[in-house]
Amino acid sequence: MVDKVLSSGKRYRVAVAWAHDKNSVGALYRAARDGLVEPVMIGIPERINEICKSMSLDPALFPIIPAVSETEACAMAVSLTAIGETDIVMKGLTATDKFLKEVMDKENGIMIPGAVLSYVCAIEIPSYHKLLFITDPAVIPFPNLDQKIAMAEYAVDMAERFGISKPRLALIGASEKMSHHFESLADYAVMCKMADRGQIKNCIMDGPLDLFLACDRKSPGIKGVETPVNGDADILLFPSLESSNPFYKGLMLFAQGELAGLIRGTIKPVIVMSRSESENSKYYCIALACLMT
Amino acid sequence: MALKFMSDLKNIVAGKPIKKLVLATAQDQQSLSAVLRAWSDNIVEPVLIGDKEKIQNISDENGYNITGLRIIHEPDTDMAVEMAVRMLSSKQADILMKGKVGTSTLLRCVLNKEWGLRTGNLLSHIALFEVGTYHKLIAVTDVAMNIAPNLKDKIAIVNNSVSFLGRLGYTMPKVAVLGAVEMVNENMEATLDAALLSKMNQRDQIRNCIIDGPLAFDNAISLDSARHKGIKSEVAGDTDLLLMPNIEVGNVLYKSLVFFAQAKVASIILGALVPIVLTSRSDSEQAKYDSILLSAAASK
Repeated sequence: MVDKVLSSGKRYRVAVAWAHDKNSVGALYRAARDGLVEPVMIGIPERINEICKSMSLDPALFPIIPAVSETEACAMAVSLTAIGETDIVMKGLTATDKFLKEVMDKENGIMIPGAVLSYVCAIEIPSYHKLLFITDPAVIPFPNLDQKIAMAEYAVDMAERFGISKPRLALIGASEKMSHHFESLADYAVMCKMADRGQIKNCIMDGPLDLFLACDRKSPGIKGVETPVNGDADILLFPSLESSNPFYKGLMLFAQGELAGLIRGTIKPVIVMSRSESENSKYYCIALACLMT
Repeated sequence: MALKFMSDLKNIVAGKPIKKLVLATAQDQQSLSAVLRAWSDNIVEPVLIGDKEKIQNISDENGYNITGLRIIHEPDTDMAVEMAVRMLSSKQADILMKGKVGTSTLLRCVLNKEWGLRTGNLLSHIALFEVGTYHKLIAVTDVAMNIAPNLKDKIAIVNNSVSFLGRLGYTMPKVAVLGAVEMVNENMEATLDAALLSKMNQRDQIRNCIIDGPLAFDNAISLDSARHKGIKSEVAGDTDLLLMPNIEVGNVLYKSLVFFAQAKVASIILGALVPIVLTSRSDSEQAKYDSILLSAAASK
């Protein structure tokens, strides 16, 4: 992915809202040094300079636009991106809800009108034979049918940017059977039919599937389940944040997962990183934002 | 295997022992006429329960020969129906047919918890049509009994229908779940149920058939139409069973086929211990005869 971005030869301008944390600064420094991005730091200049000094980084890499408050910094970062001064907007040391409020602002925000705000990430796990895209482990608590459809489309679009055509998309459940005990399963059946009928395009969809049927190539044969996903999923769509979030954190914590994730539904890429992500993951998030620009 | 003509049912019947049909409240000219014809064709062995005097009068007026026919005299309608149902629940007969009695009275007896014909399954209606413009018989459900079936009811209706078609020799009937369009539309509940039924079928939760839906009527019955719309489906254009979204659609389709397309029709009630012939007064004598034929073919 990083190679792909570098080969484009373009440097993307990133507006960083309230750029007061070491994590963001470190990842941005690396991305800037590698020629991926040109960061524009928004916040209190003294604090940003201090952080650079404490990490022995050259502050000259980072032009700074002064802002006195979190809210001001967020609004400024978003509007700079809205008017095209920057290509990407990134959250620094500010609360996610404050930051997203500016992103979603009707007048000055950068939402695609009527779009669903969601989050997709690609995870590299040594124990899986390819990248695994996951949606939505960060934004929508209990997605309804329309939100699930948007999630699927965002994930397919992202997989395509990685050069995966017709990704296999598994709608994850506790088993492959339909049951009226789980509301999400009705949505899954509807989505599969929509994929059959060409209403959701460019993917091979099946669900409900449990994780084994989705990602273990031996499992469909053992269980006797015929599924076009066939243990070879590229994308996993989860029914709720409660299931997707522990899953993706589990991959990072126990399976050496490295991720690159991005907010979707916006006109320009929006980077929101969690503090628990590794330095590498943060760097990948920035590269991904460049890829999706 | 699919049946092509209504007359194919005769071959099925010919391969089985003759079934005993009980006509409840038999003092009804139209029913009597169809039953007697089926009797003379060796399709069923009738037992008439009702007002013997009235039955005799109808026969005399119409020149029917009822000599040798078993008639049980019971002038009271409710008693006659109860007696008929009891005969079936005690396995002394194989098929129940409604005569001159209201449908609700008959069904109340059928659903009686002590001596009725309950199986725990939902009762549903199925109609089998022979239409000159379709390449085989086509079954339609439910056009007369379930008004606005929910998903659970639809599952029961499909199961009733598939096991009925199995008794006629169908191995994997093709079931089209009908909608106004073949696309899923959140505002059309029928299309959502159709998607769920398809998935349950894929997952072996509805067995012994191939379900696809939503399909619009044209792409359910016409391969050209399905191809034209780019629908990939094993069912489209080759449907054996059409599942209706509600009684209004079903009833209008039924009557359109009969009146506009001069279709032959046979229909019975499924889901009870035995097939029930429950035709309406507006059905032709031929339709009543064919329904008896169908009940005999579908009888266990």
